[in-house]
Amino acid sequence: MTLAPATVKATEVQLGDRLRARSGAELTVTRIDGEFMGRANMLAFVEDSGEQWFKMPALRDGDVELVRRENAVE
Amino acid sequence: MVVADGLSGIDGRRIDPAVLEGNAVLVVNVASQCGLTPQYEGLERLQERYGAAGFTVLGVPCNQFAGQEPGTPEEIQQFCSTTYGASFPLTEKLEVNGHHRHPLYERLTAVPDAEGRAGEVEWNFEKFLISPAGEIVARFRPQVEPEDDQVTRAIERVLP
Repeated sequence: MTLAPATVKATEVQLGDRLRARSGAELTVTRIDGEFMGRANMLAFVEDSGEQWFKMPALRDGDVELVRRENAVE
Repeated sequence: MVVADGLSGIDGRRIDPAVLEGNAVLVVNVASQCGLTPQYEGLERLQERYGAAGFTVLGVPCNQFAGQEPGTPEEIQQFCSTTYGASFPLTEKLEVNGHHRHPLYERLTAVPDAEGRAGEVEWNFEKFLISPAGEIVARFRPQVEPEDDQVTRAIERVLP
């Protein structure tokens, strides 16, 4: 099952989620760092795959654009 | 030489090893649309301050951090020269982390920072100082400004 594009809380992002950065670039989350550059109020979503390495930080209490979530329950 | 191996410039031509060999080199992954992009000003001042003494900044455009370096080589070059008057060389756009990381960054990221942390480049504007002999002597995280005392002291220690 796949979700249509939506906005979700950064803290609700799951491994495997497909996100879109403000630049328009997209990543499939394979790792979530609990802080960003020493800032505990931020998270960083990373895709570290054979396809690409890409990092996107977000405020912990902010929203991110979710492009796709596999295995979502309707 | 650790720096010049197989590197092309932003213009697509191979970087002349003579530009780098025998010099202290501060390698910095750069991006045009980052909150840290104004660090270009400090980098250019380092270039002006130490360039005649055997030092150069080497900018490495990279789009792996939130897609903040999306431009074409021409756009990146134009941005750097017109917005910041950057006179130091830029490489072609490279990957600094991950499976397709450039060999230069394989070597750079093996070096720890002052807190003993090696591994992935954390964000745009991480800095690595290479001595004229080709040894990677220091690593500074993105928050460390180019003209921070710890950077200038390290540069002055390795100038030829």
